[in-house]
Amino acid sequence: MVPVVKISNLDKFFGHLHVLKNISLEVAERQVVCLIGRSGSGKSTLLRCINFLEEPSHGSIEVDGIIVAGGEKGSKHRQLVHDVRLKTGMVFQEFNLFPHMTVLENVIEGPVIVKGMDKKKAIELGEENLDRVGLLFKKDEYPMRLSGGQKQRVAIARALTMEPRVMLFDEPTSALDPELIGEVLNVMQKLAKAGMTMLVVTHEMGFAREVADRVLVMSEGEIIEDAKPSDLFNNPKDPRTKALIDRYRSGEQ
Amino acid sequence: MHIFTGKQDTSKSQAELLYDIQLRKERQFRANVALSWFVLLAILIFAFSGASITIGSTTYSGIQVDTQFIRDNLSFIAGGLGETIRISILSILLAMALALLAALGRLSTVPPIYALSTFYVSLIRGTPLYLQIFFFFLALPQLGIVLSGLVSGVLALGLNYGAYMSEIFRAGLSSVGKGQREAAMAIGMTPTQTMRRVILPQALRFAIPPVGNEFIAMTKDSALVSATGFVHELMWRATKVGRAQFHNLEALIMAAIFYWIVTLLLTYVQSIIETRLSKGDR
Ligand SMILES: Nc1ncnc2c1ncn2[C@@H]1O[C@H](COP(=O)(O)OP(=O)(O)OP(=O)(O)O)[C@@H](O)[C@H]1O
Ligand SMILES: [Mg+2]
Repeated sequence: MVPVVKISNLDKFFGHLHVLKNISLEVAERQVVCLIGRSGSGKSTLLRCINFLEEPSHGSIEVDGIIVAGGEKGSKHRQLVHDVRLKTGMVFQEFNLFPHMTVLENVIEGPVIVKGMDKKKAIELGEENLDRVGLLFKKDEYPMRLSGGQKQRVAIARALTMEPRVMLFDEPTSALDPELIGEVLNVMQKLAKAGMTMLVVTHEMGFAREVADRVLVMSEGEIIEDAKPSDLFNNPKDPRTKALIDRYRSGEQ
Repeated sequence: MHIFTGKQDTSKSQAELLYDIQLRKERQFRANVALSWFVLLAILIFAFSGASITIGSTTYSGIQVDTQFIRDNLSFIAGGLGETIRISILSILLAMALALLAALGRLSTVPPIYALSTFYVSLIRGTPLYLQIFFFFLALPQLGIVLSGLVSGVLALGLNYGAYMSEIFRAGLSSVGKGQREAAMAIGMTPTQTMRRVILPQALRFAIPPVGNEFIAMTKDSALVSATGFVHELMWRATKVGRAQFHNLEALIMAAIFYWIVTLLLTYVQSIIETRLSKGDR
């Protein structure tokens, strides 16, 4: 089967800093892949290279059949990047909702402005997705009036309303108070059950263990382990993975 | 005082009581300030009333102003209010457009655009507003460009305030976090769409209070346009009748009162807008 996301020989430099080192990765349709690793190991950068919030230095990204080579310039490249962004939905740690728009306006902004979708149809679709995250009743509120957990669920609905082929989550619960984490993880789990292809950077080991099909461990710009969660958590192969898991066990969780 | 005894003690905590005392003190202070304002205003009115009062052995008498002159010319001078407001509104609109362009230019990575923006701001800030008004009105005709007093005034005020206000818009633009830009890019917005739909609306909202301040300042600086002799706003009218009948004192007092009232009204409107914005009522 053709993978939804295929990363080939990806390198990323920030100046002289070699942040991603020759990474190759395939994510099949309906797969949920969690990315774990210590701070600074390159998880966010990898995720952001997929939708070109960071321009890869070398290598290529393929999303749903659209192949984009990194490090290129020009209008053709920009068009390809745009096409890839339409296929990917992104959820940020800091939500990044548009504060001057209501919840519903946030959600339909992309479809209407970027895709040129008929507004009525966009509202229908937007309301459907707000309902999926359990926040249809907040559709006329401004983000300022929402709790962190609600904001993040709206951000998920906003991404979904673009009808992406794959969802990228960059530590979606790290900015939340502990009691609000659950509601966001529940929404994500539901999404996974519904068959969405997902890449999730997270420190929530419980989520990774229960929901993920694969867990990738990153260290210093490389993927050092790629396994089913049960294998990875029970008998990690790499000593660095073991150290990481031990830290989680003794620490936050 | 028996604030720490029995009944009250159970209904209100000590912190609440202290807070009440603080609140009462603040209210008292504000009341005293208002009273003092009133006294100062009364003294000012007395000073120009021509009346006199005797305290002990000294008699204080106010300046005698010609009330007949005031009555005769009130409507003529008041007739300049509309023109003052018109100039100010036209100029602030021009200034906002220029300030926004200059602010965007300052954020540009294209050297000539960045240079144009900083050059404009430097040139305008480095020369007097008074000179700029005359430049448009008196110097340009030498090059065959003849502008009316109004157009010269609006161009000069707009250019001048635009240069100063560019800083406001720059601050507004940089107040929008980079997460906003990234969120817009992630849903596929082009840079232009991102600017128009996401960055600008937030930047402009941020800029509303300081632009209000500039507008209030502008209503007063618009008086300089009277120097062209062809714009019949408040200041021009006051000096015209004042000089003609040698009643500059009365004429200028009248103009001053009009400017002051306009300023007070605008300040009040602005404070309402500001509290609305700060409540996040948008
Ligand atoms: N825009 C940038 N400019 C320069 N260096 C950067 C930039 N973004 C990230 N880096 C560096 O790249 C490395 C990887 O960063 P990245 O944010 O991908 O790590 P991460 O695994 O997501 O870490 P965390 O768990 O803290 O979010 C770090 O050393 C970081 O300092
Ligand atoms: Mg990160």
